Amino acid sequence: MDYLATGQEMSLMDKLGILTDAAKYDVACTSSGVDRKGNGTGIGNCVAAGICHSFSSDGRCISLLKILQTNECIYDCKYCQNRCSNDIPRATFTPDEICTLTMEFYRRNYIEGLFLSSGIIQSPGYTMERIYRTVWLLRNKYRFNGYVHVKAIPGADPMLIRQTGFLVDRMSVNLELPTAEGLKALAPNKHRKTILTPMRQIQNEITSNKEDIVLYRNAPRFVAGGQSTQMIIGATPESDFQIINVAESLYQKFQLKRVFYSAFVNVTRDKLLPALPGGPPLLREHRLYQADWLLRFYGFRAEELLDEKRPFFNVLLDPKEDWAVRHLEQFPVEINRAPLELLLRVPGVGVKSAQRIVAARRKVNLNFADLKKIGVVLKRALFFITCSGRMMYPVKLDEDYIVRNLTEKRDRVQFGSDGMTYRQMSLFDDDQFSRPLRAVEQLQTAMGQV
Amino acid sequence: MTVYRCQDSLEGIFTAIYQAYEEKRNHEDTILSLSEDPMLFAEDVSVLPDEEKTRKVMNTLRRRFGEKDSYSLCLALATEDEEKAQAVYGTIVEGLRSCCGPGRLFDDLTNNNIHKAFALARSANREVGRELEFVRFQELENGVLYSRIGPKCNVLTFIMPHFADRLPIENFVIYDDRRNLFGIHPARKQWYLLRGEEAEEPKLRFSEMEESYQKLFRHFCRTIAIRERKNLKLQRNMLPLRFQEYMTEFQ
Repeated sequence: MDYLATGQEMSLMDKLGILTDAAKYDVACTSSGVDRKGNGTGIGNCVAAGICHSFSSDGRCISLLKILQTNECIYDCKYCQNRCSNDIPRATFTPDEICTLTMEFYRRNYIEGLFLSSGIIQSPGYTMERIYRTVWLLRNKYRFNGYVHVKAIPGADPMLIRQTGFLVDRMSVNLELPTAEGLKALAPNKHRKTILTPMRQIQNEITSNKEDIVLYRNAPRFVAGGQSTQMIIGATPESDFQIINVAESLYQKFQLKRVFYSAFVNVTRDKLLPALPGGPPLLREHRLYQADWLLRFYGFRAEELLDEKRPFFNVLLDPKEDWAVRHLEQFPVEINRAPLELLLRVPGVGVKSAQRIVAARRKVNLNFADLKKIGVVLKRALFFITCSGRMMYPVKLDEDYIVRNLTEKRDRVQFGSDGMTYRQMSLFDDDQFSRPLRAVEQLQTAMGQV
Repeated sequence: MTVYRCQDSLEGIFTAIYQAYEEKRNHEDTILSLSEDPMLFAEDVSVLPDEEKTRKVMNTLRRRFGEKDSYSLCLALATEDEEKAQAVYGTIVEGLRSCCGPGRLFDDLTNNNIHKAFALARSANREVGRELEFVRFQELENGVLYSRIGPKCNVLTFIMPHFADRLPIENFVIYDDRRNLFGIHPARKQWYLLRGEEAEEPKLRFSEMEESYQKLFRHFCRTIAIRERKNLKLQRNMLPLRFQEYMTEFQ
């Protein structure tokens, strides 16, 4: 019964199983942001749009070989299944095993590259060094030219992070929880400051690298795909308002490429964590992603979408519809004249259709049939737009009326199995409108239990 | 009324368009047809594909509409729609007449031909994107990578450059079993297309390690899924069933 001996006999299949299982809750599995031609001698190229090679049975994409180098960990974060106090099988890949797997999977077109993270062994610096060694081997010995995403380990030597940055396409530092209090409660070994330090360092290095490339065209690229981060949603009682404010400041102050939200799945059954009998808060995660897109591509600001009085997203309406019905004074928008920024605020009009509208109306006057061709979702947009001064149907610009029509066809059972309709929501019910959320309700909403 | 009868290929259709301009037809009164159905009171002209004329049309498209839009027109012609020739012809006529400038060919989506060509190009582009994702290579005994696909439209020409750039040092073959077409890339050389002689697929012998890597990948795909988030409908939306029969992880 020697633990080490069994560890060494473990087959590649078992190791892959254990270390994939340990990495699967990490969400940042995209391969986007870099366009790089093949170099003709090694294997691999990168496409800026990113390529998803498969989809697992939970519907999430499989783009990169997402594994941990090891799932041994000296930290004891309450939410993580690899925490040191958890009794699970442990395994460690050798750098060569990771490289061979990546190469063989890549040439069969199974994956787009490698996503490498790791549990903390010995110290953050030692862990980062092992990640660096693996990636160095992959790039230089195996001549792999595809996408590589690695985690920067908070607390590691800045020099190591810098060296790794020149080998990889994307780096990420996980924020884990949106607020410092949450982090303190659930991840005793992690601190907000040590997480933000490497994030700032990577941001500064990317900026100075861009200047280098202007001067010297062939200067090595530092983290060309930008950096990302992720937050766990629903493990701590933060409100949506707090979360999107954090996301907004990350985009503005740290110039992140992406912020990922991960609906909390309770795997450790720790007593500090919520039980979540209704499954992970998927709808809440979905609303946060919708809001994230509004922040990045639609010119919305966080405080427009939510405020302290209503800190959670509407369950029945998406954030854009929700904003629109509360700002009816800005509608209807005249399709043939409104500026692009205003078109982008109409529910049912996306970035592409807004651009197509602007291009098409240079030549002709658009009507509703044309909008359908362009790709506008009329069943949502028709309440908010006019074409040449006319609305599609005679509709009232009235909050109740529009909300009723927008939510009419949808499956109410899904969001309100207890017979809840929009009328009973405190959000639109006038007599309850000003009532502040009770602490219990706030907690429930935060856990996605509404 | 003039009807140009052309072959269902990029060369056939581009040659017909060249001839329509060369013979100074009234474009409002001219139709490009891929079928043989006779039309009453119409003058039939049958067109033989011509390489020189195709090249000239292609150059004009590149010069007038830019690289991206002429690529879109080629994509539209890769679909299996019966009206594609007419839609592309109408789009080109409209674009040349309005002097739309590079990158502005598809601006006026209210025009039926332009919208049709645009929609065709979009669907072909989507199919190309999906094949880039879902092609699965298997290693044969002699080290050649082999893949079988069955796309809705003729995308082989569009996906070969991507894989040739990605795997320059590999010998690989992609076989389109619906069109009996092989895309062949010898290591470090230019790729080419080959039309299959016999319909039956050759017997394949796979390399020693092939089986074990397939098993590893299947295991990876099973493990990476989070049970609490199971959503087969979403999986099917993203990865339609018609692709799954060609893919390693679903076998």
